[in-house]
Amino acid sequence: MRKPRRLSRTWIDAPAAIVAAVIFLLLAGIGVILQSEGAYRDLQQQETRVQAEILAASVTAALDFEDRAAVGEAVSAIRVNRQVRSVGVYNEQGALIAGYGRDGGGPPQAFADRLPAPEHAVASEVPVMSRGERIGTVVLATDPEPFSRRLTRYLVIGLLILMAALVVSVLGIAQGALRRANRELEARADALAEANAELNIQIDERGKAEEQLRQAHKMQALGQLTGGIAHDFNNLLTVIQGSADMLRRPGVSEEKRIRFAEAVVQASSRAAALTGQLLAFARRQPLQPELIDVNLLIRDMTDLLDRTLGERIGVVTELAPAPCTVEADRAQLESALLNIAVNARDAMAEGGQLVIRTARRADPERGEMIALSVSDSGTGMDEDTLARAFEPFFTTKLTGKGTGLGLSQVYGFASQSGGDVRIDSVAGQGTTVTLLLPGRDAAAAGAPAKEAGGLRRGRTGRILLVEDNEEVGQFAEQLLEELGHDVVRVLSGEEALDRALADKFDLVFTDVVMPGMSGLELAARLAEQRPGLPVILTTGYSDEIATSGAGGLPVIPKPYTPEVLSEAIAIALAG
Amino acid sequence: MRAALPALAACLAAVGPARAQPTEEAVQATFLPKFARYAAWPSGRQPAGGTPFQLCVIGRDPFGRLLDAAAAAEQIDGHGVQVRRLPDERGAAACHLAFVQGRQAADTGRLLLALRGQPILTITDARAGPQRGMIHFTNLSGRVRFFINEAEAAQRGLSISSRLLALAAGVTQRR
Repeated sequence: MRKPRRLSRTWIDAPAAIVAAVIFLLLAGIGVILQSEGAYRDLQQQETRVQAEILAASVTAALDFEDRAAVGEAVSAIRVNRQVRSVGVYNEQGALIAGYGRDGGGPPQAFADRLPAPEHAVASEVPVMSRGERIGTVVLATDPEPFSRRLTRYLVIGLLILMAALVVSVLGIAQGALRRANRELEARADALAEANAELNIQIDERGKAEEQLRQAHKMQALGQLTGGIAHDFNNLLTVIQGSADMLRRPGVSEEKRIRFAEAVVQASSRAAALTGQLLAFARRQPLQPELIDVNLLIRDMTDLLDRTLGERIGVVTELAPAPCTVEADRAQLESALLNIAVNARDAMAEGGQLVIRTARRADPERGEMIALSVSDSGTGMDEDTLARAFEPFFTTKLTGKGTGLGLSQVYGFASQSGGDVRIDSVAGQGTTVTLLLPGRDAAAAGAPAKEAGGLRRGRTGRILLVEDNEEVGQFAEQLLEELGHDVVRVLSGEEALDRALADKFDLVFTDVVMPGMSGLELAARLAEQRPGLPVILTTGYSDEIATSGAGGLPVIPKPYTPEVLSEAIAIALAG
Repeated sequence: MRAALPALAACLAAVGPARAQPTEEAVQATFLPKFARYAAWPSGRQPAGGTPFQLCVIGRDPFGRLLDAAAAAEQIDGHGVQVRRLPDERGAAACHLAFVQGRQAADTGRLLLALRGQPILTITDARAGPQRGMIHFTNLSGRVRFFINEAEAAQRGLSISSRLLALAAGVTQRR
């Protein structure tokens, strides 16, 4: 209620100023007219006097010589001026020599009898001088300019003032209106600011609510993740524990012992694959990138895919004619392709066709990309499913049939390799999953130098084993000794460095994640102080390696098999 | 104003009776000193400070005391008017104005001839003969009027005011 009152007050203020201005203008106008009138009177007085003086000068001689006719002529000349009311020329004795009066009002016969000039008329008395002597008097009275003519003159001034007043009024009113509009605008701006502040508060509150919701989602996802892991691991642990228990029983037959041991190995490898996929999804899998021609890789996998997908699914490949070389972890790429293919199979319960295509695509931002797409003719995905397809442990499959980690692994692998993955799907019309990976030059790509299975019995030597975990350390020591090496085991990087400098070794096999000096730090120090001493790293997962790489050193991911270890050692000792 | 009373007296003598038909002599006597007001002499002939104009009556004097009264009433820029009566042209060199009238018309002509060559405003009367001075009185319809020979006045170095010329019954203008 405060604002409207302020508004009306300014509305009153403005006209007051206008009225004052208009009154001032009118007063100024009246002043101008009065001043003009006064000036006019002065001028008339002056004119009358000048006229009388002229007459006096022209009748001087005539008066001197008493020439009435000549005086009369001079007086008649004055008649031309219509404003002259009366003229009288008197001689030295004050007797009228000649005169003229309009409207019958002639001048008196004697100078002494003259009357004061009537109101408004202007009278002037001028002595007639001849060589310093006064010889008579001229009396001249004039009427002022007719009222109508003066009125016309003042009307012009009046009109000008009226217009000025009008302009001032209009300006004043306009200004008043403008001010009013301004006030209204201010009031609206205030209201807007208030609304804005309220909106900001709401936005803040909404932001907080969203944050809480996100946190809740995160917790839900974490719960889903841990639940999924626990479920799968419990299954595997059940197999491992059960089999181990059976093995510990006395008198187990050879055939059963082998079966239980096999079950333990299989369950363990499935557990390792599970953690591998988890890490791949988390993009924390230590990758071992190499140059791979995707076309060759697909051809090599065709048999495997045929077998995996079953007889109802036909596999068709449409590969680019040129080599499609990428730099990626071979095992992960194979795993990704397999995961996609398995999903495709599950989407085609009634059978169908799987098309695998490769192509080189120019991407304006990331340069040339290799596109590996897998299309099925299955059920497709609805939008909800599509949105959650990459979520870990999200699955549409029946419990026990899928882990929900397949596409998660694909996504993690693609991201970590500098690529991308896309899903195009229409419910009922099939799905196409496209894996995009950065393209590389075709040179040096080829089939993996796969060795035949089995332990590689190459050179043996003196190995410094660095492992802070007692169990893993014992296992590795036994394994290395089994392979015929001479092993010295230490528990920390610092200790390893001392021993390596004091003693002579052929190889250092070190864990990466350890308290104090890490495996990478140890490798760096050794490279300085014992150049030429080969180092092999091993880790279950390392932030350091995941982010900055192993600096060209071989890395054996945990869990490792005797075959992998013997292979790596053989290469290191040979190099 | 000192001149007011004598002037009044002169007027009573001249104008007053004029109402009752004043004589031509009275009117002419009033006019004569006034001519000095409307004439200008060469610079060397102007009366010195305080000295009066010399109004000479050469030959016959038809005015007598009338002229003396009129001259006494006259004040021209602080100069009075002195009347001198001369029998002939001798001693007329100091005159500013001269009323010339011989006993015979021929005498008037002879006197005028004698005054020629001097800057003297000569005045004659028609009743005395046809010989004309620079100003020549005449009577028209019972009124005293005068002719002015401006050309001759100019030849003598005299200039006559246009105001006076305007009153003349006729003017012989200089070429």
